[in-house]
Formats: sequence, structure tokens, C-alpha cells
Amino acid sequence: MSMTHQILAHTASQVSALAAFAQTGTAEPTAPTFWMPVGASTISQGVDHTLDVINWICYVFFALVVGLMVWFVVKYRHRTGDKFRTDYPSHNTPLEITWSVIPTIIVIGIFVVGFRSYLDIYTAPKNAFDIKVTAQKWAWSFQYPNGAVSDDLYVPAGRPVRLVLRSSDVLHSLYIPDFRVKRDIVPGRYTYAWFQCDFPTGQPGKTPRDPNAKTVSGPEDDAQAHRLFCTEYCGTGHSKMNRYVYVLDEASFGQWMIDQSQWMDKIPEEELYFKAGPKIFARCQQCHSLDGTVGIGPSWKGIVERVKAYPIVGDGKEYGTWEDYVRTSILIPGKYVVPTYGNVMPSFKGQLNDKAIDAVLGYMQQLEKFDTKTGKLKAEFDPATGMKK
Amino acid sequence: MTTIQLPSPGAMPDTIEARPASDNYLTHTRGILSWIFTLDHKRIGVMYMWSVLGSFLLGGTFALLLRTELLTPGPTITDSADTYNQWFTLHGAIMVFLVIIPSIPAALGNIILPIMLGAKDVAFPRLNLFSYYLWVTGAVLCVVSLAMGGFDTGWTFYTPYSTTTTAGGVIPVLTAAFVLGFSSIFTGLNFIVTVHKLRPPGMTWFRMPLFLWAIYATAIIQVLATPVLGITLLLLIVERTVNIGIFNPSMGGDPVLYQHFFWFYSHPAVYIMILPAMGIISEIIAINSHRAIFGYRLIAFSSIAIAFFSFIVWGHHMFTSGQSALMNTLFSAISFSVAIPSAVKVFNWIATLYKGSVSLTTPMWYALAFLFLFTIGGLTGLHLATLSTDVHLHDTYFVVAHFHYVMMGSALIGMIGGLHHWWPKIFGRMYDERLGTIACWIIFIGFNVTFFTQFMLGSQGMPRRYYDYQPEFQIYHVISTIGSYIMAVGFTLTAISLFGSFFNGKKAPANPWGGRSLEWQCASPPPFDNFAKAPRVGDCYDFSVVHWDPKLGGYRVDESNDPEVNPAAQGTKAAH
Repeated sequence: MSMTHQILAHTASQVSALAAFAQTGTAEPTAPTFWMPVGASTISQGVDHTLDVINWICYVFFALVVGLMVWFVVKYRHRTGDKFRTDYPSHNTPLEITWSVIPTIIVIGIFVVGFRSYLDIYTAPKNAFDIKVTAQKWAWSFQYPNGAVSDDLYVPAGRPVRLVLRSSDVLHSLYIPDFRVKRDIVPGRYTYAWFQCDFPTGQPGKTPRDPNAKTVSGPEDDAQAHRLFCTEYCGTGHSKMNRYVYVLDEASFGQWMIDQSQWMDKIPEEELYFKAGPKIFARCQQCHSLDGTVGIGPSWKGIVERVKAYPIVGDGKEYGTWEDYVRTSILIPGKYVVPTYGNVMPSFKGQLNDKAIDAVLGYMQQLEKFDTKTGKLKAEFDPATGMKK
Repeated sequence: MTTIQLPSPGAMPDTIEARPASDNYLTHTRGILSWIFTLDHKRIGVMYMWSVLGSFLLGGTFALLLRTELLTPGPTITDSADTYNQWFTLHGAIMVFLVIIPSIPAALGNIILPIMLGAKDVAFPRLNLFSYYLWVTGAVLCVVSLAMGGFDTGWTFYTPYSTTTTAGGVIPVLTAAFVLGFSSIFTGLNFIVTVHKLRPPGMTWFRMPLFLWAIYATAIIQVLATPVLGITLLLLIVERTVNIGIFNPSMGGDPVLYQHFFWFYSHPAVYIMILPAMGIISEIIAINSHRAIFGYRLIAFSSIAIAFFSFIVWGHHMFTSGQSALMNTLFSAISFSVAIPSAVKVFNWIATLYKGSVSLTTPMWYALAFLFLFTIGGLTGLHLATLSTDVHLHDTYFVVAHFHYVMMGSALIGMIGGLHHWWPKIFGRMYDERLGTIACWIIFIGFNVTFFTQFMLGSQGMPRRYYDYQPEFQIYHVISTIGSYIMAVGFTLTAISLFGSFFNGKKAPANPWGGRSLEWQCASPPPFDNFAKAPRVGDCYDFSVVHWDPKLGGYRVDESNDPEVNPAAQGTKAAH
């Protein structure tokens, strides 16, 4: 760590200690204003304060400039043919020095205010809770210390959270407006973002959101969830690459992590395809359809038969079974790309385990049981057994 | 190469009466070939102007498509996010590379700069024509890229997206930007030499019209910064074709390095766009206030200061990119330094109105609109130069609003203002000033409705380059789209007023607004060779020798008593 970094880190920890102190006693997030959304993190007040300072400087200067402009234009209006005024000053050195020096002092002031609140944003406290984030076209994957993986971000309230960001393809950027946090995600290196939110939002409701809705709308029963966006242009699904942030109190967060890491373990092998399949498919449907529509990747409709017909699949060939081919495509997508499609699929190695892949394979075999729009089990099937009611 | 004759002592500048009005640069030779192979700076400028305006129409059409698509969340007029991505990329690339960068220097600068200098042409007329054809080549390559499948990279071409996207037109468009870069370099080079070598007798550096200072400062940036873009785009092409790995992280390359290279050019490029507009505004405000520009030297120095600072602030585009905190801090601090010369210019323009004699002509309305919009564009730069607020606002619609206030509200409004200012000079026809003024107001209102809304949209958290968005943002998008339609109406009226001048415009006098720089002492339209002799010049911001002449329907410059121009005369002009 360089000297500068140490100094920055030291100053930052002091400033954030102060900020944390100032935060104590705040009962709820700051309300949205004309300019800013809800402010729910420990740094949001500092950022909003800086913004307010700059805004007021802007209002004053804007009023001054436009006010004088209008006044002079009205007062010194000239009509064609009238004599020109000749009593004007051509320059005024003291005045010009004044209006060079005053803005200089003001911008130095703004810089200092912005620098101080930036140090809070930049350096994560040492005791931060680490969550690994993988961004890829066009999905987020959040990985927790106990092995749990989720598509939405779940964080503990009242504790600094550090996000370790990595990309498996192109540039992305993680942005949580309510926390005033943003960080680019650069392939080939780790970047970090951190925040602390003291206000639990509660878990998402039991009714899952409709993934095929035209837009992602807020979950009706937990409108306090915070939005999370990708803000670095990354192609077709860039505007779909947004999820929610749920802040849980420490106890519920701990329980959630345990449940999340084990949710598939409790499902018997033969029920995987309809209990886990639709949930996993939700991550695939940005590119793969169920109804035959050609997307960024091939549709899953009739996929089993099609794969079996590939010249590289069959007894004694490169892939003995169709399952081998699909499994390889999930883990090493570039190995055999279906002709006419681009080599764009990211690898799901480390994100989907064997059980999850089994669920996908089962799902592909029983597609007729699932709604082609939502990917969920059709109404005529019993959600408990997967059989016709 | 052009040569200029040295004037005999006491030579009078050409007066409008001295030259036959029937023979001008537009009528001097005839036929399409006389345009295609012309070496006349005015004709080359006019060809640039039509080309740039045509590209503006195209870029504007994409803007309207974008805004219409964003009327509702989800699909509105296209159900393909890829199509939308191509639209915003095309809108950005066309507006930046084909419209704004060449608009003022290459179109208006080409026409006006040599006349302002009392020269017959730019220093290198053949190079000038060559840079126009490079522009044409670039434009054609853009079309080729569309035919080959278009491109969806955003105008910034960030890697690794740009090196991996399956869109087929990426390499042609990179080549196009590369070629357009050379067009810009050659124009800049030409102008630097012209300003250094072809200034007329009496025109010292601090006697130059401020438009020349601005174009000169711009030319320096063009020559110094554009080669970096050229080499960067070339590297990107090589990366995409043979995968050398300079930007590819899986081969040890660094995508952030590309961002450094790109912004090392593209930040100065912002000043390539805005500085010439500032020059135009200085001219319009001084001439229409009929008084000496306030603090001439400070305005001239601030142009050079802005050109200098523009090279050392590029890192402020990358505060969230993973650049180190120390770098961010330094770039933030230096970025604020650009605010000072910019603020100084605004104060000087406002002070120029003070005790002036303000004529509210159409160009003047554009200049006032510029002051209003540039003030907002400049002030919101403070939010983005500040580290902690930029983290929140970066890559949101706040940035989109900010740079549209600067690039469209300032650079482009300045260009349209300049077009109105010099239109009578260029084509010898007056446009309908009432219609022109109404159009200016409609554009001004539409602009603010469109883009001020986007400040709120961005600070509330809406990321840019989004095909789809959350329902809570819709109200802002609807207002913004309505504003863009208002602007479209305004631009249509502008076009009607300008083109109408060809059909029913009255003949323009040599000096319709009361300017004193040399172009106003040349006939409208100027003769083929501008001036028979390089005229001796006085103080171009001393309007005491400019008088309204009802017989001409314009102003007359009577320099016979100005000892600076006519050493034989006894000075009687008012002292300031």
C-alpha cells in the first residue's frame, strides 16, 4: 500500500467514524427531494449535503448572470438608427480580478467539501462484511461467505458491506441510487464498493415478480427495497440488468443466508426440474426463450431433439449424450457455439452446481409442463408433485 | 499558395461601393465541377456547411426516434433493444464527429476566417479541399458501416464491448472516425498557419477579432489532441481484427487504458466544440451591443487558458472506473480550474451589455440563449467535477443533460447564432428576422423542457443508455420527449426562415448588424478574391466609426478619420 493510500485510508476512517457518529439516532432514511431519491446509506447525507452546497452556489450565480443579462438588455435596448451610447467602460481591471478570484475561492471550497465526502465513499471500514459480485451480460450474481448465491442483493442492516466486484465479460457498473454508490466493474481486475444501510427493508413478499412483465416494477409488498442498476453500457440487455437490494436486520439476514445456501438441498432429485428449474431458468431467459423465438441464444423449445441431432453428439462422438453437450455449454459456453449465434454466453462455472445443472436438464425434458411466457409450471399441474391435478 | 499584396501607405480598405456586386464567389464560375474542385475557402466552407447541416438533420432524426421510443417504458416504436442501442450510438457519433466538431471551424471558420484577416484564402487552399473530402470519406464510411450491420458500441467505443460486439459495422465506423480526425487535424493546421502568416497590416495579436482567437485556440487543440484519437482508434481496429491484447484483459491488456486514451482526446474535443462557439458569441454580443467588448484581453487569454486546461482534466470522466483515489483527487482539483476562465468569459459578455446599445437581432437572441444555456451547462459541471456527487451522478441522465447543455445548448446554439450572423454575408440575402427570432425562442423553450427535465431524471437515479426503464421515471421522459418535439418545430421554422431568404429575402447590405471587423467591409456575398488589396485595419471593437445608413439599409464604416487605418487623417474618434 502506497503512502498516499495509507494517508487517504487513515483520513477516510476518521471521517467515516465522524459520519457514523453523526448518523446515530437517525430513525429512517432521508425522504426523497426534488433532486435526490431516498437517502438510505451512511454516506448519503454527506453526498446530499455537498449537492445542496453546489446547488445553492448555482442558484445564486445563475440568478446573477441571467438577472443582469435581462436587466442590461432591457435597460440598454437600442433601436436601429438611434445614436450609440459612448459612455461605456472598455475594461476594469480591479473588477475583472475580483470576478476571477471569487470563483476561484468558491471552486476550491467545493472541491474540499466534495473531497471529504468522497473519502467516505472510497474506503471501506476494516470490519466490512464481504459479498462477491459477478456481473455478466446481463445478470448479477451475488455470492455470500457461506456459499449462498442470489440474483437480488441481500445485505445486513447496520453493518458496513463491501462488494467485491468482478466481471466475466465486458464493462459493467454497479449503481444503487438510494445509497449514492457507484463503481465500474472491469474485466480482469477487482474493484470494490462499500456502503452501510441502517434501515431494514424486509424480505421480498411471497408473490414472485412476473419476470416477463414489460418493466421491472417495485414489489407491491415491499416498496422500500432499493433499486440496483447497471450503469455502464453493456449491450442488448443493459437496461434489463437491474435488481433489488433488500436490507435485513442481522438475525433475519443470518437466517436468510442459511436458507438461501440450502434451498436446493432439500428438494428431492426427481422434483428438481419443477421446483428449481423455473427459478434457474429466470437467469437464462434474457437470451433463451421457451416458445421458439430466436433470441441472443437459441430457444429451448425442442432443444433435446435438436442437440441429439448435432453431428458432434452421439455414441462414440465428442459428446456421448445430449446431457454432456448441454452441461459443457453451461460451463464452457465457447467450446461449441451453435452456428449463426455469436460466442457471447458467459460461463456459469461456480454459479450453477451439479444439482442445479440436473434441474436444468430435467426442465428441458419436460418443457411442455411450463408456461412459455413465464417459465413457471402451468396451472393444470400440481405445484407439490408436478403431476396433472 | 496564395499571396497577398502589401498595401501602399494610407491605403483604404475596399468599400462596398468599390466592388461590382454582380461578381461574387457564388457566381464567379459556374457548373458543378467549379464547386467540386474549388480551392476557394468560401465555397469549401459552404460545402462543409450543407454537409454538416445534412448530417445534423440525420442526427436529429435519430434523436427524435430515441425520444419517441422513451415515451413509454418497454417497447414503444421498436421492440428491439439492439435497434435502440444503434440509434443512440448513431445519434452520438453523427452529432459529435460529423456535426459539432466540424460545424464552426470547418464550415463558418472556413468562410469567415480568411475574410476577417483580409486575406484572399487560407494558407493552404489545396489542403483545405483535401480535408473536406476526408470529411466526405468519413461520412461515406459511416453509411458503409450502417450497410454492414451498423454499430451499437456507443460513440465512446469502450472496450471490451466494442471489440467483442457482433455488430458488423464497427470497423468501418472506427475507420470513419479516424479519417474524420485527419480532416480535423488538417483544418486546424491550416488555420494556425493562416492566423500566424496572413494577418493584415495593423492586425497585431491583440487586434484580432475574438472569433479568430477562439478558432486559433481550437486549432491548437485539434492539432495536438486528435492524433491521440487516431492512434487509439487504430489500436482498437487492430485489437478487433487480430486480437493483439492491448486492451483485452484476458491477454493482460487493460480496458481502462483505452478510456485514458479516448478521453485524452475526447475531453479536449469538448473544447474543440465549445471554444469556436464562444468566439462567435463574443462577436455577436460586441457587434449587437455596438460597443467595445469588455475586457478583450481577458477573453482572449481565457480561450488559451481553456485550451491549455482542456488537456489535463480528462480523468474526470473516469472517477468511478477504478482509477486510483489519488488520481481522482488530482483530476477533480484540476477540473475546477476550467470553471474559472469559463466564468470569466460569461462575466465579460454580461459586462459588454452594460451601457451598450443592444440591438435585439436574431443572432443576438441566439447569443442571449447561449448565455442562459451555457451558464446552466457550466454550473452543472461543478456537480460532476466534485468527487462525491459525481459518483452518484456519473453515467446517469444528469450527465446527459449537462453535456447537452454544453454541446447542444452552447456549441450548437452558438453555431446556429453564427449562421444567422453571417448568413447575409455568405449568401447576400436577409432572412425573415421575425420568423428567425420566433424560431430561436421555440428552440430555446423546447431545449430547456427537454434537457432540464433530464437533470432531475439523472439525479433521481435513472442510468443513461437505457432502452427500458422503471415506471417512476416515465413522467420525466414524457416531458423530455415533448420538449424534443418543440425543438423539432423550432428547427423547422429556422430552416424555413433561412431557406426562405433565397426566395423572398431582400438583398443583404454589406454590413447589416454594424460590425467593424473586415468581413463586414467586404461585399455581401464577398467577391471571389475577397479583397483586391490586404486592407489596413484598426480596432475591430471600436464602433464609433460605424454609422447607420438608411440608404444602404445597413451600417457604413467610415474610417477616413481613424489615424490607425488612415495615417493621413487627424484623429477625431472618441477616446475610450
